[in-house]
Amino acid sequence: MDFSWSPQQIELYDTIGDFAARELNDNLVDKDRRGVFNRSGFKRCGEVGILGLPVPVEYGGLACDPLTTVGALERLGYACRDNGLVFSLNAQIWTATMPIVAFGTEEQKRKYLPGLCSGDMVGGTAMTEPGSGSDAYALRATAVKKGDRYVLNGSKVFVTNGPVADVLVVFARTDKDKSAAGISAFLVDRWTPGLTIGQRLEKMGLRTSPTCELSIDDCEVPEGSRLGREGAGPALLTHAMTWERGSILASAVGSMQRLLETCVKYAKSRRQSGRPIGQFQLVASRVVDMKLRLETARYMLYYGAWQRALGRAAILEAAMAKLHISESWVRSCEDAIQIHGGYGYTTDFEIERELRDAIGSRLYSGTSEIQRMIVASLML
Amino acid sequence: MQQITDVERTVKTYILNEFLAGEDASQLTPTSPLVSNGILDSLATLKLISFLEQEFKISIAAHEADFEHLESIERIAKLVASKR
Repeated sequence: MDFSWSPQQIELYDTIGDFAARELNDNLVDKDRRGVFNRSGFKRCGEVGILGLPVPVEYGGLACDPLTTVGALERLGYACRDNGLVFSLNAQIWTATMPIVAFGTEEQKRKYLPGLCSGDMVGGTAMTEPGSGSDAYALRATAVKKGDRYVLNGSKVFVTNGPVADVLVVFARTDKDKSAAGISAFLVDRWTPGLTIGQRLEKMGLRTSPTCELSIDDCEVPEGSRLGREGAGPALLTHAMTWERGSILASAVGSMQRLLETCVKYAKSRRQSGRPIGQFQLVASRVVDMKLRLETARYMLYYGAWQRALGRAAILEAAMAKLHISESWVRSCEDAIQIHGGYGYTTDFEIERELRDAIGSRLYSGTSEIQRMIVASLML
Repeated sequence: MQQITDVERTVKTYILNEFLAGEDASQLTPTSPLVSNGILDSLATLKLISFLEQEFKISIAAHEADFEHLESIERIAKLVASKR
């Protein structure tokens, strides 16, 4: 068992870390308050290679293996305090880019991947509906074949990157009688007639990542825009969700590292009753718990990525990593606020925002309850 | 051919025990639809893939978790055979 990074991996991580720390952290309190998406920063992330980390070189990516990819995203999360931007980057990589890599035709790959990797294009996915969330296969949007085209109808909610997306992966039913096997996916360009970007959703956290509703009314797309064959929806979802769950919180591990360092520094410098607060056992205990959560979260992240690098689906590992990292992130944010006392509760210290951002991780890519159901069902 | 038959039997036993408890075993044939009739829902699909990986010491990519590979015991057996 070798836990060391290669010189090439370290160089990549340092490049990403230096870039993110230098360019992505300006005016975050204000951006969060106003819900501003950093489009230029998103583009710069593409130029640095972040958006194409796991994508083959011939389509504009860096062709990193899963372990290197999560290592790079972990460093991004450590250096970039704009969790909303990081979430938008991850949403694109795992729910738009990678499904195209895995299921796209050569034409689709050539059309979309270079732009998605460079940051010239923004991608997202439209799966959740008002009546289907955790039960994804209950979706009701339809895609009816008419000649060499499909006509899509339906409505979607919680479309991450929707307001700024150039292309969306839209899930719809091509066969109402086939249960899960009747679900297909389509690549729909932003300005396709019939596709209407709806109300932008105000959120508790991740406010710099734009989210919206979507109306799809007689939206016609060519047959060539179907991603995978008819009925490939479940495979696409399984693929996307397994990769997403196993990787999307890599940046959260970096964020937890940053939080811990902030707390250690504060606990050593902040004095009360004549000594640093870190010398009070109740404060020290919180720091220890944060360290334990960080290291176990990191281990689960790496182990799942290693499994995927071996070609395994790693369903159990992905679900456990998603569950453990998200819950750990939230609890460590709570500890960080408590260690900082009243200052931690103020906006300018940027820790309360971290907590608001972290809470979302219990919900997206499958709630903690769903992850527990998956883990339980694989054991019992 | 014998190997395929053994795999089919193992998979059939697993599906009967896990997803069709109490059902008439004779009704589940190598060609019975599993995905399109809802026997394999999202959670059952994940569970079946993990079983196949462990039981047959193979790796199944997530994108293979589809109708084409999992719709019947016969197709599942072919998927397993292709990886051994």
